Amino acid sequence: MSADPNEHVIEIEGLVNAIGSGQILHKNLNLRVRRDEVMTLVGGSGSGKTQLLRVILGLKHPVAGSVLVFGVSWDDPSFKKVRDARRRMGMLFQNGALFSALSVFDNVAFPLRERGGVSEKKIRAIVHAKLSEVELAPHHGTLLPANLSGGMVKRVALARALALAPDLLILDEPTAGLDPDRSERFVQLIQRLRADHRFAVLMVTHDLDTLYALTDRVAVLGDQHIIACGTQDEVRELPHPFVQSFFGGERGRRALAHGAAA
Amino acid sequence: MIARDAELAVETVENDPVPTRARASGDWTFAGLKTRREEILHTLEELRRIAPSRVAWDLTPIGELDDTGALWLARAMRGVVEVQASAHHREILDRVAEASRVQIAMQQPIDPYAPAIAVGRAAMVFGMHLRDGLALLGRIVLEAGALVRRPRDTPLRELSAGVFRAGVAALPVTMLVGFLVGIVLTYLSALQLKRYGADLLVINIVGVGVVRELGPMLASIIAAGRSGSAMTAQLGVMRVTEEIEALQVMGVSVITRLVLPKVIALAIALPLVTFCTDLAAIAGALLVSRFTLGIPPQAFMEALPRAVEIVNFWIGIWKSAAFGFAVALVACHFGLRVLPNTDSLAGGVTSSVVASITCVIILNAIFAILLRNVG
Repeated sequence: MSADPNEHVIEIEGLVNAIGSGQILHKNLNLRVRRDEVMTLVGGSGSGKTQLLRVILGLKHPVAGSVLVFGVSWDDPSFKKVRDARRRMGMLFQNGALFSALSVFDNVAFPLRERGGVSEKKIRAIVHAKLSEVELAPHHGTLLPANLSGGMVKRVALARALALAPDLLILDEPTAGLDPDRSERFVQLIQRLRADHRFAVLMVTHDLDTLYALTDRVAVLGDQHIIACGTQDEVRELPHPFVQSFFGGERGRRALAHGAAA
Repeated sequence: MIARDAELAVETVENDPVPTRARASGDWTFAGLKTRREEILHTLEELRRIAPSRVAWDLTPIGELDDTGALWLARAMRGVVEVQASAHHREILDRVAEASRVQIAMQQPIDPYAPAIAVGRAAMVFGMHLRDGLALLGRIVLEAGALVRRPRDTPLRELSAGVFRAGVAALPVTMLVGFLVGIVLTYLSALQLKRYGADLLVINIVGVGVVRELGPMLASIIAAGRSGSAMTAQLGVMRVTEEIEALQVMGVSVITRLVLPKVIALAIALPLVTFCTDLAAIAGALLVSRFTLGIPPQAFMEALPRAVEIVNFWIGIWKSAAFGFAVALVACHFGLRVLPNTDSLAGGVTSSVVASITCVIILNAIFAILLRNVG
C-alpha cells in the first residue's frame, strides 16, 4: 500500500485515559509510530501499557485526546473508513485469543472470510501460505486450539494477525510464557516476516532480549505519559529511576551484550 | 513461686511535654493482679482518659507479665509512644495489642441505616442492569437496522445453529416436562371436578392452562436454564480468553455476530418448542382423562377446540417469542459483563438464569393484565 516511510501509522495526541473508578491513568500522552519502524512500549507494572494498547485498538474510549490509526479515529462516523483501518492492522494477543471453537485453519481463515470477496480455494492457498510462514504444516490446520502447545498458539495467532497482510502489527508480550530458546526463535520469526512484508510494529514487552533484537525506537511510559521516546541508546541514558532499573544492572548489560553479538 | 503483687504508680511532672509518668512494677500476672485489682483498674482507667501523647510508661520494673496483665496494659496504653520495657515484655504487649484491636473491630456497633443502604444499593444495581440491558437492546435494534442495508453480513449460520441448539436439542427435556405436567394437572383437576360431576370441564382447565400459560412458561424457564446459561457462559468464556476483543479488533461487530443471532434464534425456537410442549402436555391430559375420568380420546379431541378458543393458542405462541427474546437478551447482557476471572463467570451465569426467569415471570404478568379480555 502506501510507501511513504514518514507516514505515521499511529498518532496519539493529548490522550487522557481513566480506568473505571475514575482514576486517571494517562494524562496528556503523545505518541507517534512511523510506517517503517518497530516501536517498543515499556513501563513499570501498573503504568497502563495494556490500557494504552486497548485505547489504540479501539477497545476502550479515552476521556479526551485524539487517537488516529492510519489517520482514522475509531469514532469516525464512516463505517467503511473504520473497517478499512482495522483491516490494515493485525493484533497478537498475549495468550493468542484464538477462537476456541474453530480449528487452526478456520482461525487463520477467519479474517479472510470476514473481509469477503475471496474464494474458498484462494483462502485455502493463503491460509496454507501463512501457516508455512509461521513454520506450521498444512496438517496442523485441522487441530483445535486446545490441542496446541503455547508456542504453537502464538504462531497460529501470528498467522491470523498477518492473514490480511497488515501494515501494522501490534504485539502484546510476544514472548511471554515461552522458554528462552523458543522466544528467541519467535523473535527471529518476526524479524524474518518483517523483512518480507515490511509492516510497522508496536510491541509491549518486558523481555530485554526481545527488545534489543527487534526495536528501532523505545517509548517509556511512566508518570502518566511518555517520558521518553527515542532509540535504545538515547533512552538508556535517561536519568529516570524506572529507565535506570529497567535497562541498567546485570540483566540489562547481559541482554545488551547478547543483542550486540546477535 | 509466690507472685509479687502488681503495683502501678503515677506521678505528674510540671512543665514537661509529657507530664504524666506511669510506672508499673511487680508481677503483672493473673495471680499478681489479684490483690490490688480494683485500685489498678481504676488507675488504668484514669490513665486511659489522658491523651496518649502526654503519658510516658515505664514497664522495666515488671517481673512477670502474662496475657491478663498485658491486656490491661495494652488497653490503657493504646496510642502511647513513650514506653520503656524489656524486649520480651514488649513482644507480649504488641501481640496482645494486635489481638485486642481485632476484638474491637468486631465490637463495632451495628449501623442502623445498614438495611436501608443495602436496599438502596440493590436498587442501584437493578437500575444499572436495567439501563445497560436497554442499551444492549438499543444496539441490537441499530445493528439489525444496519443489516438491512448490508444483508450479506447477516449471520445466517449462527442463526440456524442457534435455532437448532435452543430448539431441536431442547425438545426431549421440554416435552417430557410438558407431558408430566399435563398428567399432574389433569389428575389434580379431575379429582376436584369429579365431586361436582363437572368432569368435562377438565378439558377447559387443562386446555387453556397449558396452551395459554403453562406451555410458554415451561418452555421459557427450561430455555433460561438450558440455553440462557449456555449463552452467558459462552460469551463469558470468550471474554476471559479475549476472543471478544479479538473479534472487535478485526472489526467484527460482537452484537451482530454473537448477540443478534442468539436473540433472534431463541425468539424463533421458543414458539416452536412451546408448540411441542403444548402437544406433549395435551397428550398427558388425554391419557389421564381416559383412565381416571373415562373420557375417550376422540371425545377429548372433539371437545378441545370448543373449550379452548384458538386465540389462546396464538397468545401462547407470541408470548413465548417474547420470552425467548427476553431470555436471550438477559443472557447476553450478563455474558458480556463477565470480567476476566472465574468468580465473575460463575456469578454471571447464576445472575443470568435468575434474572431471565424473573424477567419471564414479570413479562407473563404484564401480558396477563394486558390480554385479560382476550380469549
